[in-house]
Amino acid sequence: MKFSVKKLALCAVLAALALGLSTLENLFPVSLIVPLPGVKLGLANIVTVFALYELGAPEALAILVTRCLLGGLFSGTATALLFSLLGGLCAMGVMILLKRSRRLSVYGVSVGGAAAHNAGQILAAMITLGNTMVVGYLPFLLAVALITGTLTGFVVSLLLRATAHLHLTNQSDYR
Amino acid sequence: MKSNSSTVKTRPTPWDALVFAAVAALAVLTALVFYGPKARTNAPLTCVVSVGGEVMDHVPLASFAGEHTYSHNGYTLTVRVSGGQVEVLHSDCPGQDCVHSGPISRAGQSLVCLPAQVVIHLESGTDGPDVIVG
Repeated sequence: MKFSVKKLALCAVLAALALGLSTLENLFPVSLIVPLPGVKLGLANIVTVFALYELGAPEALAILVTRCLLGGLFSGTATALLFSLLGGLCAMGVMILLKRSRRLSVYGVSVGGAAAHNAGQILAAMITLGNTMVVGYLPFLLAVALITGTLTGFVVSLLLRATAHLHLTNQSDYR
Repeated sequence: MKSNSSTVKTRPTPWDALVFAAVAALAVLTALVFYGPKARTNAPLTCVVSVGGEVMDHVPLASFAGEHTYSHNGYTLTVRVSGGQVEVLHSDCPGQDCVHSGPISRAGQSLVCLPAQVVIHLESGTDGPDVIVG
């Protein structure tokens, strides 16, 4: 994979944006309104889905891993890193697969990704707690994923339409 | 991007509903496995009550019926065990979270009173997972 300077700069900006969004989100936890621990809007996933569509899978993966590693570094807890990395990688894998189906729109891909993200977090909880009972929490998180995934899909669809004329990526590299 | 934009769908398609339905179905399925009628007729439960970090009672739920009081940190909780479920009937703690939690009846559920440092936890009798998914 060859990163052009423009692409590298774009990835860096998007990674910074994702990191900023997830930090912002931690300041205003949704779990104060919805009484379910661990429920998040997943604002940073907007960046991930956008990058997946606008830049491609390797770039989106690079942004995701950068965000998780730096986020883990800033929060200073290994558990947080495990949760975000496992959730993020599950989401990325599912979204890459779903995106291959040309029939699905941004919404379907994003909802699938959100569900996979939450399933990955349950997996992380099972690893850290050594207890399979946490799977009982999955139905709630999946229901939440339907909502947050749709919201993410909505924002990304707006973003993609708004930036369609910008030619963010050097498609000439690929032609 | 120009060559791509025609294939990128930014508006919902009927196929998205399929993903939506799949996630919803998975949610319902896991909910049924864990909270459905079958989950209730399970192995005998053990009620574990810890007060201030120390286990006070570790008793099979079936033989724990009746009312029990626990005092710690100057607060007193009245716990009632009946019909296979446990609830905090009364507590003189300020938050009343434990009372408002309502009754618990399944393995893995807990009632927690933070001010009094009382944790009531239900364990399945076999001590292992009561279901394996996948």
